[in-house]
Amino acid sequence: MKHFTKALLGAAAVVALMAGPSVAAEKAEVIHWWTSGGESAAVKVFADQFNAAGGEWVDAAIAGGEAARAAGINRIVGGNPPTAMQFNTGKQFEDLVAQGLLGNLDEVAKADGWDKFLSPVLVKAVSRDGHYFAVPVNIHSNNWLWYNTALLEANQIEPPKTWDELFAAMDKLKAAGVIPMAQSGDAWTQVLLFNDVLLGVGGRDLYLKVYGDNNVEAVKSPEFAKVVETFGKLREYGDPGQQGRQWNQATGLVVSGKAGFNFMGDWAKGEVIAAGLTPGKEVGCVPGIGNQVYWIGGDVFVFPKTDNADAQKAQALLAHTMLTPETQVAFNAKKGSVPVRGDVDTSKLDACAQAGLKLLGTENGSVPGFDFLQTPDKIGSIQDVIGQFWTTPSQAPADLQAKFADIIATE
Amino acid sequence: MASLTANAPVEPSGPRPKRIGPGRYGVYAFLIISALFFLIPLYVMIVTSLKPMDEIRMGNLFALPGSPSFDAWIKAWSQACTGLNCNGIHVGMLNSIKILIPSVILSIAVGSVTGYALSFWRPKGANILFAILLLGAFIPYQVFLYPLVRILSMVSLYNSIPGVVFVHTIFGLPLMTLLFRNFYAGIPIDLFKAARVDGGGFWAIFLRLMLPLSTPIIVVAAILQITGIWNDFLFGLIFAGRENFPMTVQLNNVVNSSFGEKEYNVNMAATILTALVPLFVYFVSGRWFVRGIASGAVKG
Amino acid sequence: MKPRFLRFWMAQVALAPAWLIVIFAYIGTILWTIQISFTSSKVFPVSNYVGFSQYTRLFGSERWIISVQNLAIFGILFIVGCLILGFLLAVFLDQRIRAESVFRTIFLYPYALSFIVTGLVWQWTLNPTLGIQQTVRNWGWESFTFDWLSRGDRAIYVIALAGMWQASGLVMAILLAGLRGVDGELWKAAKVDGIPTWRVYLHIVIPILTPMFVTATVLLATAVVKVYDLVVALTNGGPGISTEVPAKFVIEYLFQRQNLGLATAASTVMMITVLCVLAPWLYVQYFRQPRSAH
Repeated sequence: MKHFTKALLGAAAVVALMAGPSVAAEKAEVIHWWTSGGESAAVKVFADQFNAAGGEWVDAAIAGGEAARAAGINRIVGGNPPTAMQFNTGKQFEDLVAQGLLGNLDEVAKADGWDKFLSPVLVKAVSRDGHYFAVPVNIHSNNWLWYNTALLEANQIEPPKTWDELFAAMDKLKAAGVIPMAQSGDAWTQVLLFNDVLLGVGGRDLYLKVYGDNNVEAVKSPEFAKVVETFGKLREYGDPGQQGRQWNQATGLVVSGKAGFNFMGDWAKGEVIAAGLTPGKEVGCVPGIGNQVYWIGGDVFVFPKTDNADAQKAQALLAHTMLTPETQVAFNAKKGSVPVRGDVDTSKLDACAQAGLKLLGTENGSVPGFDFLQTPDKIGSIQDVIGQFWTTPSQAPADLQAKFADIIATE
Repeated sequence: MASLTANAPVEPSGPRPKRIGPGRYGVYAFLIISALFFLIPLYVMIVTSLKPMDEIRMGNLFALPGSPSFDAWIKAWSQACTGLNCNGIHVGMLNSIKILIPSVILSIAVGSVTGYALSFWRPKGANILFAILLLGAFIPYQVFLYPLVRILSMVSLYNSIPGVVFVHTIFGLPLMTLLFRNFYAGIPIDLFKAARVDGGGFWAIFLRLMLPLSTPIIVVAAILQITGIWNDFLFGLIFAGRENFPMTVQLNNVVNSSFGEKEYNVNMAATILTALVPLFVYFVSGRWFVRGIASGAVKG
Repeated sequence: MKPRFLRFWMAQVALAPAWLIVIFAYIGTILWTIQISFTSSKVFPVSNYVGFSQYTRLFGSERWIISVQNLAIFGILFIVGCLILGFLLAVFLDQRIRAESVFRTIFLYPYALSFIVTGLVWQWTLNPTLGIQQTVRNWGWESFTFDWLSRGDRAIYVIALAGMWQASGLVMAILLAGLRGVDGELWKAAKVDGIPTWRVYLHIVIPILTPMFVTATVLLATAVVKVYDLVVALTNGGPGISTEVPAKFVIEYLFQRQNLGLATAASTVMMITVLCVLAPWLYVQYFRQPRSAH
């Protein structure tokens, strides 16, 4: 009931803000790929808030980011665009901006004061040439180390704080006959692991030089060689069942005590909670092992350009609704991520999220995820070489380093 | 040489078995062993669909369910969620049928006429047409998406059932043409020449002579098209429009949710449910393999 | 005599829909694809021409080379395997057996199931820690190993096996349709002459079924060139990139990796390759004589 009242208040605020509120519901068809249980619950927050604000949310959920994006982009090409569609934060929607197919959100951004509550990293991620083209809705952090508390205690292992401690701990687990590190066979999880090592062993500066500046010398440096070597060493701690295993099954191995450690983003919490456990208790978390720096990602919504005045109204209303403090808190609590607004109450979040938020709050405590910095094309090539290296135990680290340098060197 | 003749047998045509002997057992042994190989995945799917999730996570893949339950089937049919709509996969079934029937009929109609014209009449340019069609059959569909979206929105068919039917007809044409052309290549040309001498025109020969002979190949064509169109996900997603999404879009939503717990039992049940229509067609099509030839036999 | 064109005007009319489709949907798209492959298009087609640089990149890509090699291995195993298994199934089904429609449905059903999920079942069955390997080990044969799916050098064979499982039934259906058309008199004649059954199949029935074999082969070949779902469902290209295939390359660069230029260059290479392979066969099969079979 309290939630409902809050929603009503939010609606009243919106009506006051919007010039000339119309009586008729503004229809907004939204393409997104949030179809799992927790994700649907999160989308429902958007839909409810939008409906309460006088809009009419028309849900177009399509599982799989690729399929959803293909459907959305083709509808834009076919001249029948959706009111809004989801993208990952990053360069995915850059071409749409370049082609002039996205609506400019400067008006809403100015009215709501986006630059006051969005972090500079996010402002940069959603604007091009000083204009806003997307609404960021959440922040996910990618480099978490999850561990099974009981399993570690049984083997007299302290939660590791450095990479050396981690390797020592995994050697113990290996000797004890359990899987030291649960790893998925999906290429993106191998890349996630690599970037965790790059940030944890190589550090913030190296990460930004490699991905931000495309600095080939940085890739050829001894520091990067150490990163690749550490990543290569990790290959010995996986198990033969990883091919075909999905990320949630890998996390599940830690949850069930069959494996000690798992590198995964903060969304892994969902798996812990689904198993009836508490993140930070039965399954512990170490944020940003090694260098205490986060690399962050998230989702945005874009609003394809349209001449229809009603659709434009709906777009403005939706963009506004998604970023109100009420929506942000409720949405991110369901999604397992962190609100994009720095000015909302986060005291209800769990222990791991609190630890993460502290990092986010410090200067230099976070870097943009590599999909903010690199094109999907280059990310794909990086994924290919890392996946190949990870699954070929005989491949030398120097070989990966050379291939990596070639990719960074291309346009 | 004996070939496809008008008075083909009604029954299976293999050599008549002399007696129940070791050879007969061999035939059945081969068929049963092959059937087991084909059935292993189906067995795993059915068993999994009847287990609760805990049992799936812990248990043996091939073990029978401890306490079988149809919850997953009910959930897949009427409760599984696509975003905010939790109505299961049955929602798209009617759409799938609305797309399927006209697409199958139209693609077989165009394909059989084209195959017939190419095979017997061979007008000017026929070879070029056939060569391009064959080449077209080898291009990944995805390459066609952008241009086709443009073309269809130009003629106002984008995001509609006629639009997706049209797309299925386009992509069905190469294989349908090939199927019928090759089938007609096995029919003695003398049959066609005799009909010409009797004064048969293009359509008369097609409708009265060729079509009745074509039952077995129509069955094969229908199997191909029904399966292909029923299981199509991409074209339905891109061309049908949100109101007309076929069942496979819901299946994909149930199965491919990227994050969060995977309900394997629901996935398995949803897959089997989605396949029921083609499976039913396969089961009854056998009759047509046999009966079609009988009724279509042109005596003399 | 009237010119050929006029004599067959009704045939031309009947072919009009096919011509329209070929001109607009196929030729148009093929030309468009070739044109885009010379541009630097990302998500949307643009006309910023960059010469052959997409092709240079394509052939410098290890992933593309591996994809092409995999396609060759998969294609040969899959086509030959399906033809043999499908033919045997059709012949055995044609022996006046009981419950024919049950068997036929069993052999055909894999074709009806969406590979999104059956792929998952195969993945489980072949996963060393979940499926066959573990089951056999639980029975007591501790050293039993069947881990091809997790081995980069073997996984493509497993994919071919799963492909055979899916498509053999279709070959069976096509050949069965052909066998049902074989004249029953043939068997009486063979019996009178005392020719063994296997020789009749080898020397008389198979030649009669040639058009059906051609159809099946072309169908399988198109499935080979377009193979995508199977790989995505079973290995998603892994371990690493060891089971990548060209169609997956195209699709990934079209959507996920947002490089329309490279994707269309890859499609163009695929089309040209197919054309080169098809051309001699097409010529012999269809164009050299008006109706070669007779």
